[in-house]
Amino acid sequence: MRRRVAILLLLLTPRGWRAFAQDLANRPGSVKFAVIGDNGTGERPEYEVAQQMAAFHAKFGFDTVIMLGDNMYGSQKPQDFVDKFEHPYKALLDAGVRFYASLGNHDDQTNRSYKLFNMGGERYYTYVKNNVRFFVLDTDLLDSKQLAWIEAALKDSSDEWKICYFHHPLYSDGRTHGSQIDVRVVLEPLFVKYGVNVVFSGHDHVYERIKPQKGIYYFVSGAAGQLRKGDVKRSELTAAAFDQDQSFMLVEIDGRDLQFRVISRTGQTVDSGAIKR
Amino acid sequence: MIVALGALLAFVWANTYGESYFRFARALSFAVNDVGMTFFFALMTKEVVEATVPGGVLHTWRRVMLPVVAAVGGMIGAVLAYVAFLQLGDEASVLARGWPVACATDIAFSVFVARTIGKRYPAIPFLLLLGITVDALSLVIVEVQFPIADVHASGAALVAVAIGASVALRRYRVRSFWPYLLIGGVASWFGFYLSGLNPVLALVPIVPFLPHAARDPGFFVETPPGFRDALSQFEYAWKYPVRLALFLFGIVNAGVLIRGSGTGTSAVLVAALVGKPLGILAAVALAVVAGLHLPHRVAWRDMVVVAITASIGFTFALFFATAAFPLGPVLIEVKIGALLTIAGALVAIGTAAMLRVGRFAHH
Repeated sequence: MRRRVAILLLLLTPRGWRAFAQDLANRPGSVKFAVIGDNGTGERPEYEVAQQMAAFHAKFGFDTVIMLGDNMYGSQKPQDFVDKFEHPYKALLDAGVRFYASLGNHDDQTNRSYKLFNMGGERYYTYVKNNVRFFVLDTDLLDSKQLAWIEAALKDSSDEWKICYFHHPLYSDGRTHGSQIDVRVVLEPLFVKYGVNVVFSGHDHVYERIKPQKGIYYFVSGAAGQLRKGDVKRSELTAAAFDQDQSFMLVEIDGRDLQFRVISRTGQTVDSGAIKR
Repeated sequence: MIVALGALLAFVWANTYGESYFRFARALSFAVNDVGMTFFFALMTKEVVEATVPGGVLHTWRRVMLPVVAAVGGMIGAVLAYVAFLQLGDEASVLARGWPVACATDIAFSVFVARTIGKRYPAIPFLLLLGITVDALSLVIVEVQFPIADVHASGAALVAVAIGASVALRRYRVRSFWPYLLIGGVASWFGFYLSGLNPVLALVPIVPFLPHAARDPGFFVETPPGFRDALSQFEYAWKYPVRLALFLFGIVNAGVLIRGSGTGTSAVLVAALVGKPLGILAAVALAVVAGLHLPHRVAWRDMVVVAITASIGFTFALFFATAAFPLGPVLIEVKIGALLTIAGALVAIGTAAMLRVGRFAHH
């Protein structure tokens, strides 16, 4: 509790704000988004992470949240969409922030038609924000149609940044699930061939930044509601990891620069960095 | 057993050199699953065709009635248990389509277990018929429910041509199986493929037209040398390639990651090991109440052992898993469940010992 208060005070001080401003440039016109995964528990930690997101949104005006799947756990009736999504993220939704979901193994496939997930009724889809194109996949059911679609979509894209996100991580040091090698051998060659820059996944309820693999940056961010404390078994893949509390990511892309910051449920910065194209 | 050997190899490989394993499995998947296994299902069909001749276990409908009822009951029990398990955990979703995995019975494996319980165990023919019915019904459902591609009407026409060609060959008393295979079989395979159906069943409508012996050499008994009919010749020619196909099927499909289990794993296990035996026993009880009789020398305690033995899905469960789910972690968790249904063997043998049936009976 004391640590939480200290961090909050630090953020409120000019010094704290400078530290924040240094690692995320917060430039006008840049692409700014937040990343959440495995969030939809409807329990207190999800609400607390959402509150942090709203607090940071006041300073860092991201207009997009990418959802890495398991957006909804357990029952998925209309009231659950309220309790597990609309209430916790109310402040962001009211501020006009758009959420773009991918489906996880706990999500009902019909959730793709839920309006606030902006999936257009599709399991896999693509959208663009300035110079950044996002490719959203459904790794629950990676059928040949979807593989043909992603290959064609990546091939057709001439956008400066290509970002893919989906639920199951191609690389992860999570003890519970770990790397999804069967999916990796299919997707990674396409990502390498068509120049994907960054990949975000969830599934393991931790945060992990993987050392670049074949030129691609991989992040696991599956702790925006769920948490598996101490689940990261560090390996030669690990660049950074945080498995002691819930977390989410903030990302900014300006021209050829990407900056990211990982924030815990209590508002503590647990990782940050920059990627240059 | 040959599938189990392949499965063991795949399991070790996938969990030690995962990347090379999954590349290998993906490269071979089409050749093994969609081509090689066609011959496995052709040989299965051969067994059923021969069983319908006089002396065969399928010769009269009266004998078939109870196992068919039991099979339907087993499937209903498995499906209900599968769906209930998912609902209890509030798991909607993607796993719902996996119920056929829990219905499967690995016929060869379960018969092997039954023979372990008793070499001439009188419930074996019942078990065979039960297994065949369950798998045949599940195969049809899986074919229709999970097309592999968009449907083209030309495919159905091609299958009709294939069957017509086989009828003509039979009418002209062609005794070699090769024309049936190369004309009827190839046309049927492409017909299935174009229809969006899994071509693995392409030889099923062709095999019945191959001239066969006047008497059944025995169900799942290797045809002794000297049978000159086309169906027996077909078996002589393809039994070793089919064994290779089964070994490769185990390698290609059973490589699951040790950490890949999930809700799908438990759902398949509960449905196969609990729901299915209960469904079989409930259906048989209803049938007996309605006037059918238990098979000769088969008591209720044998029926309990048979119901548990039929829960071993293994090869067929793996096959249904690959048909129901495309590549991905969900497929892996369901596959783990399919492989673990092998535990039904231990439960069946333990139950047999407890109930003192087969070799465990007091003489």
